[in-house]
Formats: sequence, structure tokens, C-alpha cells
Amino acid sequence: MTYCFYICVCLCLVIFQTTIIPHISLFNNFYDPLIPFICYLGLFRTARESILFILVLGFLMDNLSGGPFGLYLTTYFWLFIVVKIVIQYVHVNNILLLFVVAAGVLMENIIFIAGVSMSGPDSQFSAISIRTVIFQILWAGCTGFFFITFFNHIHKKLEKWFNGLIAEKS
Amino acid sequence: MVLIVGAVALIVVNIIILSVNSSRYSSYGSGRTAIFFIAPFQATVTKSVQFFKNIWGHYFFLVSVAKENDNLKKAINQATDKNNKYREIEISNFRLRNLLNFRKTMTNQVLVAEVIGQDPSPWFKTIIIDKGKSDGVEKGLPVVVPEGIAGQIIDISYNYSKVLLIIDRNSAVDALVQRTRARGLIKGQSDGRCLSKYVLRKHDVKVGDTVVSSGLDGVFPKGLRVGYVSEIVKRNSGIFQEVTVTPYIDFGKLEEVLVVLDSPKHDFVSEQ
Repeated sequence: MTYCFYICVCLCLVIFQTTIIPHISLFNNFYDPLIPFICYLGLFRTARESILFILVLGFLMDNLSGGPFGLYLTTYFWLFIVVKIVIQYVHVNNILLLFVVAAGVLMENIIFIAGVSMSGPDSQFSAISIRTVIFQILWAGCTGFFFITFFNHIHKKLEKWFNGLIAEKS
Repeated sequence: MVLIVGAVALIVVNIIILSVNSSRYSSYGSGRTAIFFIAPFQATVTKSVQFFKNIWGHYFFLVSVAKENDNLKKAINQATDKNNKYREIEISNFRLRNLLNFRKTMTNQVLVAEVIGQDPSPWFKTIIIDKGKSDGVEKGLPVVVPEGIAGQIIDISYNYSKVLLIIDRNSAVDALVQRTRARGLIKGQSDGRCLSKYVLRKHDVKVGDTVVSSGLDGVFPKGLRVGYVSEIVKRNSGIFQEVTVTPYIDFGKLEEVLVVLDSPKHDFVSEQ
């Protein structure tokens, strides 16, 4: 059930990201919507349950993207690890939820910029990259919290429903 | 007995009067008086009745008008929706006709494909098209549109392919300035434009010049438009000049593309 939920959510997010977002000018600099999902897994789910899924997701995204293979895999894996480390020291509350997605987006962009820069210098790169990163972080700061809360709420509801269904049958 | 006789006489008189009066109208002045007293009441009552009748009638009329209004609004919405669809079809028709005309001008064998997805990351410029191995698409084939070169196939599955656009930093196209035949290597930039690298300083290049593919890269057919020169930087030192090329294609609005199936393939080993 949990994996079905993960697959459905990720499929929706990937399709939203690759087909709908490019057509809406408002979302020109929108961040990767899978980042809040990875953060959600890191914050609320166990490593044993999530790690394989995160690797598969990273692999899928690397195949869809035209970037160097492994960028998404690296980003998602390390983002998950970092979130897991952070929650060992910080209590999960609303303030953390507000910043965790923005921090995740920043981390992804740093990894991507590093990956892109490996292919050679670009005179226009710095100005455009700074603008893109700032907009993405702002978007993440404004909407990341809602994404995580939504995932958590839906997942809990589905688990409750599914457990009730099993209890009824047995 | 007297009562019966009197009644019969009254009936007879009455019949006579009626028969006399029925031949011509006469009110003897009493009609005017009756009208004078009764008519105002009649008028008031009739007007009142008419008033209430009108209110009732108008109420129902308004209800039916409201219904009619709703229906008309629905009809307008449907017509607007239909109009939008027709407009979309018209635009699509124009675009496809344009593509078809371009296809006719091309001597190469081409395949029309639709863009179904874009790169998930803003840092990389690729698109996914709905044609793959089953349609004869191969890795490395050029992808073009009437405005010019779009990119190159870099990955294929059975039914879909991934195209690396010329504005991606990993893309490279061997090109010429159409007017002076100055050669350079077109590389993608982050700002959606391209940089023509290795253009010698001595070559005459002006802003506005059209840049076309040279065909020497063994991927893109010769003579296809790439873009126009939008900026030239000549540094104090160095043997090359930096030429910025803006593609003619608006990559954000790319919907259909042509995959060139029989692109020139250079067998470099045999040429040596």
C-alpha cells in the first residue's frame, strides 16, 4: 500500500513537472516538486522503507533528464541522508518544515551547478543561475510546507483506511 | 283569479315592451346615470384585477426570461468553447501546414514527431518526442523544424526518444555564417542562446547575419538555419572572436518536430 502511494505520488509529480510546469509561465523557475517528497520520506518514514524507492526515483529522473547521469540519484540520496541526520538533533515541528524544502532545493541546485560547471565555463551562467536558485528557494519556502503536510495527511488517511479494510476482512 | 289575470297581463305587457325595444336601442337617460355611478367602481376593480394579473404574468414571464437567460448563457459558453477549439485547430492547422511545406522542401526523408515532455531540470535542455525505435528513429539523428535546427536524438526507447536541444550546454553544431562563410562551433548557453566558438578574428561577422549548419559535423544536413548573430565580442588578445547566436526557434513553444531519418553519415575511418 505504501509503495503504491509512493509510486502514484511520484508519477503525478514527474508528469506535472515535465508536461504542465513548462507551459505555465508563472512556474518558469519552480523547483523540483520531488524534493518535498524526499524531505517527507526523510522526516516521517523509515530509512529501510524509503531508501530503495529514493534510489529508483533518482534513477528514473536521471533517465528523463539530459544532465550527466547520477545527478538526481546523488541529490535525492544525500538529501534523504541529510534530513535523517538533521531530525536526530532537531525536533520535527512546523518551523523545520518551513525551511527543510528550501534547504533541499538549495542543496539540489548546488549539486546541479557543480555538475553543469564540470562541462566548461559559461559567461552567462552565474547571473542566470543565481536568479534561478533564488526564485526556486522562494517558491520552496512558500509552498514546501504545504506539500509535506499534504503528503503526510494523505498517507496517514490511506494507511488508516487500508488497515481498517484488512481488519474488516480478518 | 284576479292575481292570475294580473300576472298574465304583466307578462303580455312585458313581451310587448321587449319586442318594441328589441327593434331599436333606447336608454331613456337612465343608462348614463348608471354608468356614472358604476363605471368608476368597474374601472377600479378592473384596473386592480389587471394590475395583479400583470404582476402574476410578469412574474412568470421573468421566470421564463431567467430560464431563457440561463439557456442563452449556456449556449454562449458552448459557442465560446467551440470557438476556442476551432481557433486551436486553425493554429494547429497552420503550424502543421507550415511543417508539411518545410517537409516538401527537404530532400531528406523525415518523420513528424510530437513533443510530449520537457526536461525536469531547468539546467538542462532536452525534450521527449513520441517517436522511437519502432518508427525508425536512431540515436544521433538530427531534429529540425521549419525555423531551423532543433537538436539531436540522444536516447531512444521503443516508442519515444529524448532530444538534446541546441541550446543545451552539451550540444555542439558545426556552422557557417551564411554571408561570409565564416565557420564556427555552435554551443548552447544557459540563457537560451548559443555561442559560436572558434570563429577567427579576421572573419567578417556582423550582428544580424544568419548562421546555417555547415554539414561538416556529420549530423545535421548542410544549409539549415541555426539562428542569427546577436552579439560579437572581439577581445584585445586571442585569435578568435566570441559570436553569440540567437536561435530562430522559440524552444519554449516547440510542439512538433521533424526527425531527419537519412542524415549524412560520415565514415571518418574510410575517409582517411
